[in-house]
Amino acid sequence: MNTVFKWFNDRLPIVNTFERHLSKHPVPKKVNFWYLFGALASVVLIIQIISGIWLMMPYQNTEEGAFSSIEFIMRDVDYGWVIRYMHTTGASMFFAVVYLHMFRGLLYGSYKKPRELVWIFGMTIYLVMMAEGFLGYVLPYGQMSYWGAQVIISLFGAIPYIGESLEVWVRGDYYISGSTVSRFFALHVVALPLMLIALVFMHLVALHEVGAGNPEGIDIEEHLDEDGVPLDSVPFFPYKVLNALVGIGVFMTVFSIIMFFFPEAGGYFIEKANFEEANPLSTPEHIAPVWYYSPYYAMLRAVPDKLGGLIVMAGAIAILFVVPWLDRSKVNSIRYKGIFSKIAISLFAISFLTLGYLGTVPVTELRTLMSVICTAIYFLFFFLMPIYTSLESTKQPPERL
Amino acid sequence: MIKIFIIIFSIYFAPIVFSAESAPCGDYGECDDYSYDLYNNESLQKGLATYINYCYGCHSLKYSRWGRIAADLEIPQEILFENLIFNQETKPGDLMTGSMIKRNAEEWFGVAPPDLTLVTRSHSPEWVYTYLRTFYEDDSKQYGVNNLVYPGAAMPNVLSHLQGKQVLGCKEVPIIASNGGVKRDENRSDITEEKCGYLKIKESGELTQAGFDSLIYDLTNFLVYVGEPAKRDRERIGWYVIFFFITFTALSLLLYREYQKDYH
Repeated sequence: MNTVFKWFNDRLPIVNTFERHLSKHPVPKKVNFWYLFGALASVVLIIQIISGIWLMMPYQNTEEGAFSSIEFIMRDVDYGWVIRYMHTTGASMFFAVVYLHMFRGLLYGSYKKPRELVWIFGMTIYLVMMAEGFLGYVLPYGQMSYWGAQVIISLFGAIPYIGESLEVWVRGDYYISGSTVSRFFALHVVALPLMLIALVFMHLVALHEVGAGNPEGIDIEEHLDEDGVPLDSVPFFPYKVLNALVGIGVFMTVFSIIMFFFPEAGGYFIEKANFEEANPLSTPEHIAPVWYYSPYYAMLRAVPDKLGGLIVMAGAIAILFVVPWLDRSKVNSIRYKGIFSKIAISLFAISFLTLGYLGTVPVTELRTLMSVICTAIYFLFFFLMPIYTSLESTKQPPERL
Repeated sequence: MIKIFIIIFSIYFAPIVFSAESAPCGDYGECDDYSYDLYNNESLQKGLATYINYCYGCHSLKYSRWGRIAADLEIPQEILFENLIFNQETKPGDLMTGSMIKRNAEEWFGVAPPDLTLVTRSHSPEWVYTYLRTFYEDDSKQYGVNNLVYPGAAMPNVLSHLQGKQVLGCKEVPIIASNGGVKRDENRSDITEEKCGYLKIKESGELTQAGFDSLIYDLTNFLVYVGEPAKRDRERIGWYVIFFFITFTALSLLLYREYQKDYH
């Protein structure tokens, strides 16, 4: 080891950290594509941070300047459009991979003992991401930014007693204005990204402490070699890194196809109404959130009472945090769970997707009814989980991967 | 079992979820087809000329700059300044902020004519193309015209001397049966009914219908360009980036396979 390196290594745990978290960190040798989305999420996080820094340079966080500075980026900044589309596509792709990552967790019981904290950190990341996405959507200050913010901030008003003052406090004004934009800017670029990075760090530290799961839902720590390394594991570096690289390649190809050829994604990634500057005097015909919030928006609209809707919406996210204690099954993976679990998770997935669709379209009576049914299924999936997971008969998972 | 369940579930949901939305082009129904051609500089130049001559008096393009348009559409700056820029003090780097003062405009029209830089993005190219061709005579309106796509539009039809006078008329159309087919009588000829709300030219203008359509095609094409000047570059560069990532994927797959041999 050369002396300079040794000098550093004596003062900083370089080799130790590299070995513990990369070259000697054991990961299950057989996993499927569902296990790639975590790595992809970190790739998108990096894309968002880097493109965000460059977007911040020409962006103006004022009522007068916000919208036109976005057009300035799209037209006058060299390759500004690349950076802007990278960020807008990245936002949607972030949610896409995180939703798949979360669904992987539900499928293979990634939240089960001893990974409860990994799950909870993950859910907190999701919560912060939702806030981050919302704040970011307001910044271009288009019509949908304005009216979307109007809808979301007015939800605070539904809270009894403190609601109205809370609304003013969040907006920094009696209506959405330049002060809303500049405070959302501060939160979007400093406060929440700091939280996100800290939470991602905790998510990974907790994961490396207990080890990654696998689609069989079995504990690879039970069969160790003479050095105490699980027999069914390979070192993270280079094996899993190379595996992830293939996934990243495929993902970035899809990412580039969207970014360069369909950046608006038919109005789902960038809504048409957001190409008009915010106008407090004219409400768009149809206010719809971006696709990644639409399941919750459908739930909100399914409840006739505003406070009730808010409680349902918040409950839908809150309940995800306690999943580790709702699942009483002896096995982790859906592969070995019983028929009830399989039906439940299929119904859950279908109703979540249906809610997602319903949240993007105007309401009709029939659609409201559908939203109510799907919301009920969503909650029943969790409420009944302790019952169906403990009653059903499960299959015996294999000993080894 | 799960598959059967998904099928039953989707059959149950499909008709509810995909019920009809309001038509994208207002009373006109579906918009007319439109496909832009950003590599056709001649069309874009003609569109620009039409825009400056007929639209720019009221509608600014305030996010766009003169010089950028000249460069992208390959118009020499002398020609641009001689023929299209009427203000002597304008510089190539200036934004195309229009010439109408907002307060005057509000007084004259009720609402200030909107900026149109992003109109093809906030609506769609199809919408713009259809809108500009569906003005018709309507004496109940302030300017004597109304529009099928955007009923009650507060805009005079500035192109009517080119298009001619268009009116709403009636015509015989086949009746569609509930099964989607055309209703026929015992002689197997179509049963028709009179339906109204169809556009027809009452008095022809300076251009033929095809000539007018092509004028609007070019104008819309220009507006698509100005909505996103980087679009041409974007789609060109996109192919290289995608090619890069496909190669990247292929190489990393080969490397991964090679390393996989260690533990398989």
